[in-house]
Parts: sequence; C-alpha cells; structure tokens
Amino acid sequence: MPKCKINGQEVEVAAGSTIIQAYKAAGIDICHYCWHPGLSVAGVCRLCMVQIEGMPKLQIACNTEVKEGMVINNTSEVVKDTVKWGLDFHLINHPLDCPICDQAGECGLQDQYMQFGKYDPEMAEAKVKKHKVVDLGPTVVLDAERCILCSRCVRFTEEVSKTNELGIFNRGDRSEIGTVEGKPLDNNYSLNTVDICPVGALTSRDFRFRQRVWYLKEADSVCPGCSTGCSVKVHYNEEGLWRVKPRENKEVNGYWMCDTGRDTYKFVNLKARLLSGRIGKRDQWQEISAEDATRSAGLKLRETVQKHGPDSVALVVTGQYTNEEYKDLLKFFTGELKSKNVYHWLNNPEKMKDFDGLLFRGDRNPNTMGLSAALAAHGVSSKWETLQSQLSGRKLKMVVVAGPENQATFPDMKEKIQMLSQADGLIWLTAGLNADLNQVGSETWQVPLKAYVEKAGSFTNFEGRVQPFKAGTTIVPQALTLSEAVELLAGRDLNWALRPKGLGGPKTNYAVTQRGTL
Amino acid sequence: MFSLSPEGVEFVKKECSRYETKHSAIIPSLYRVQKEKGWVPPEAVPYLSELTGLPESHINEVLSFYTMFNKKPVGKLHVQVCANISCAMNGGRELAEHLCKHFGVKDGEISKDGKITVSKVECLGSCGTAPMMQVNDQFIENLTPELALRKLKEMGV
Repeated sequence: MPKCKINGQEVEVAAGSTIIQAYKAAGIDICHYCWHPGLSVAGVCRLCMVQIEGMPKLQIACNTEVKEGMVINNTSEVVKDTVKWGLDFHLINHPLDCPICDQAGECGLQDQYMQFGKYDPEMAEAKVKKHKVVDLGPTVVLDAERCILCSRCVRFTEEVSKTNELGIFNRGDRSEIGTVEGKPLDNNYSLNTVDICPVGALTSRDFRFRQRVWYLKEADSVCPGCSTGCSVKVHYNEEGLWRVKPRENKEVNGYWMCDTGRDTYKFVNLKARLLSGRIGKRDQWQEISAEDATRSAGLKLRETVQKHGPDSVALVVTGQYTNEEYKDLLKFFTGELKSKNVYHWLNNPEKMKDFDGLLFRGDRNPNTMGLSAALAAHGVSSKWETLQSQLSGRKLKMVVVAGPENQATFPDMKEKIQMLSQADGLIWLTAGLNADLNQVGSETWQVPLKAYVEKAGSFTNFEGRVQPFKAGTTIVPQALTLSEAVELLAGRDLNWALRPKGLGGPKTNYAVTQRGTL
Repeated sequence: MFSLSPEGVEFVKKECSRYETKHSAIIPSLYRVQKEKGWVPPEAVPYLSELTGLPESHINEVLSFYTMFNKKPVGKLHVQVCANISCAMNGGRELAEHLCKHFGVKDGEISKDGKITVSKVECLGSCGTAPMMQVNDQFIENLTPELALRKLKEMGV
C-alpha cells in the first residue's frame, strides 16, 4: 500500500493505483477528460498533468502509477499554466456554441474552463468545419465539431459493449468520430456513450432539446426495468420525469445501464398514469377520488369474505412492488381475510433466466425475488392453473390485482385482464392507464398507485441484494402506495399528514416558452 | 462483389497469424488490396473484416488515417510529386503543376485515358535529391520538368 502526498495531503492507495485514482480517492479536484474509471487509460487529453517532485517534466496522472513517497501536486503555477494551454488547444476547433448546445450545464468543457480556462483565446485561424447532426444510430446523434476526441465512446464500444461500432476516422484536425457504413451505433448500451461524452458531441435523441438541464432536479433511485436493479438517478421537474441516468454502484451496475432501462421514466409521467379512482364497468365509469374508490372496494371485499368465505377471493401480484408493500399486502390478505388464494403473475416465464452478459435480464420485474420471498414467508404457493380453473368454475367472487406499473414488460396484459375479469368483481391496483381495463364487463374498481420514484422502499434484485431507495418526486398526488391502499381496503384510516403534496398536474415549463421543431 | 485473389486471401490469413495481434495485419492487408485493385474501395473494409475477424471500425480507422492508401481510383501510373520543404524550394510545386497541365488533369484526378494520376504529396523522404516524384513504387529523383516528362514517356504515357 504505497503512501504519497497529494497537494500536501497524505494519501494511502492500493498498490498499482494511478495518481488520478489517488486524487479521486482523496476527493481532490483534478482536470481530466479522457480518463474514465470504467474504461482503459488512453492518455490523450493531456489535461490531468501533475508535478511530481524529482521529475523534471510534468506527468499525466491517469497513466502514472503511485510509488511510495511520491510528492505530487496539481496546484503549482507550472501545472495551472499547462492545463490552461491544454484547454485552449482543445478549444481550437470547438464551435463554442454553448447557448444552443444540449450539454450546456453539465459539460466537461464548461466546468473545467470555469476553473482552468485561459479566457483570452489567441487562435486567429478559422475553425475546421466538420459534420453536424450525424445520425450515429437510433438513439445517438453526433456533432463532430464539438467533439474533443477524448475517445471515451470509442473505448466504451470496444471494451464494455464489445460491439466496436465507433472509431476515430481521418487524421489530425480532420479526425472525427464515426461509424462504418451499414454498422450504426445500435446496441442496448449505446446511450452510455452520451453519458460519458464530456462535451456536447454525443446527445441522446430521446432527450435532446427537451429540457435545459439546470432546471432539472435529481433524485437517486433503483431502475425497475429488470431484475438487475441498476442504481440510477432520475431527472425531473414540475412536469414529471425527463430521463434516467446510471449512478455508480460497483456491486451492481458499475457505471452503466441499458437503453431499455432508460425508458422507465415514460410510464411514470402523467400521460400514462391513472390519475384518480374509477368505479364501474365497460362504458359506465365513474371517476372518484382514489381514497373513496379504495374504501368502496374494501367494503365490497370484506363483505364478500363474510358472505362467501375467504376462498371466494383471490389476490394476483406482480413483481413490481417493494418488499415493504408485499409484507403489508400479504399480511392483510392472509392474516385478516384469511385467504390462501395468492397468485404470482409472471409476465414472461420462458424468458426469466435470460441474461445478455452485461446488465439486462429477461426477468423484467425489479422485485421477483422479493415477492417470492414474501410469498414463502406467508406460506402461500398457489399454482396459476388453480386460478384458471377457479375462475372458469365461477368460484371466485372478487379478485384483487396488484398490477404492473411498467406495462410494456407485460405482453400478456390484455389476455390476463380478460381472464381475471371472469370474476364478479375486480379490484385493480395500478399506476398506469390501460385501455383494455376500461373494457371489462365485470364490476371493477381501479385504484391509482404510485410509481417507483414516488415512494420509498426496497427491491430485492436477482442475486438477493436488497436495494433500498427513497421517494424522489410526486407526479400523481392522489396515487396511493400499495401499503396505503391495503390500509384503506382493510377499512382503516391513513395518516393524512404523511401524504405528499402533489405537483398538481401539468404546468408549462417557465423556462421554455418557445420550442422549435427538432 | 469485392474479393481478393486466392493468393491474396492466403496472404491476408498468413499475415493474421504472423504477429502478436491481428491488428498488425491491417496495413499489409490493405496494401495487398491496393496492389491487386490499384486502390482501396470502401467495400474492402467489410470484406477484410470478415476475412480477419477484426471489427470494421478498426480497419476503417487505419485506412482513413494513412494517405498512402488510395481511397479513389488512380491511373495506371500514380505519380506522386513531393511538395514538401526541400522539394518545394527546388521547384517541386511547379513540377507538379507542369505535369498536371501537360496531361490535362487536376491534382489527384485520373486522366481521361486512365493512364495517369498526378498528385501533390507531402515528404517522401528523399530530400537530398529534391525535387523528386514517386511513380507507383519507384522513386525518380533530381528532376526537371523535362526530365520528369521524358521518364514518364519511357514508362508508357
């Protein structure tokens, strides 16, 4: 474990660490572009220069190993001057179009320039023209002029996704990132290149020009897209969620997440959501508050159990809720209603074990493990076939469904709705709107639930890792958590003081009054 | 459909196993394509990628980096006239312009009869004998415009 001195501070690092890793470990700022903790060392940006005592020349921190007793600094005038000029060289052909650049506000060039910039460019030559708005693939757009050729994205496709779509073509100041004809950047991890791009060269087709990033707030969460449960941060404002980005978590996802997971903001937003409670059946819906709808459903449910016994009701659960919610739900159902009819709705059983080798898993539920554990703890293990025979035998009077919030991952949605509506009454707890659900013929209660970013709890991922997360923002103020819905179903009251104050529906973004076409 | 001769395919495969990494075979393979076709057409990239098992982007990176690979078709004689410092001081640029004018072509353009391409290039490493030109693989040095034309005529233009 070599010890070194960084800017006067004693730091001990693991053997083989580079100086830049020591800087990061000590939490001291160092200017850099091409180095990324999840990628190999390229040493091309020449900005992480440090002065090491006893060495005549400056060294790059990303490719120099820490040796015992090294005395390193990046605060001397020599280093500052070198970084200043290095940055100016990076800007020689950079268009400096920050006001219209989508990266502005989270741009490496902007950030570093504030600290290390020269502020007085001396470049008199005309800038080299390169390609703008290059279509790299279905998800990523390139502006070659903004690119500083740090090669992070090239190394990403080479080392992480191993798809090798990107390369640096041509030479010198005409070098450009690009793809080979007929091989677009099209893999399930392509948007990570946008995350690691330190400038506005690579932008996400889904997010570009939608929001100025400094108006977005950030909240940590766990991706509900599959059973891997990548650590993510969601970016939101008054209108809802705008994007999902990966958060560093060495144990689960490293620095990356898949493109499929990035879509998990879409079903959370107002357009896709059930906004209030609904009672009725096909073409005869009555909109009432979530609370009243749940209370009325609870009344009917308890009445049915009293009249026809606990076996006349059934519970169908999907693996999209938190461990805490499962606990409350099963406690109520098996404890208070004393019914053992609990069924685990698997969306794609034949794909459950699929894995792409990096992050994405075939089990598209965040908490299948948690649900299985909860079911086992309450000793309920009903077979799906039993439900089918009970339904067709008209033995079930009421079915309670804790439906999926990410409906895109449930290809059997329509079929299951038709099957479950064979019961006389259907209590459907869900976050999302569903057109098929509005067509059912039996008496139905639709109760709006919260989506993952609106509630706190924990998911258990595929390997049994329990990952807690906090509530980020509220999008549908009326929506209940599954636990709250259970309380109301059981006829108890909620602690209304604890209910979140909602955003109160869509608002125009005060910052964006005019928006052109893309 | 692009393809190399059977000997060419054999050559590329041999080069692949010759070095520590297959990437080292990219330049010899591209040279082989140029030798057989006179230039490196874009279709050569996917072809070589399949043949060597290397990603297309890596082959294209090498191809686009080096100027010695002709990315456009050239005439039977590819005349590269050095216009770098020593040659420029001794009339290299004028020599290039003279040849272009004489054969009625522009810099890098192929002549109508397909016999010749004249291109102005950077240093070819023969500064002591400036001005000079390279015709296909052959250096012709200590040139005057007249001498250059005579040599080219001898070569059949």
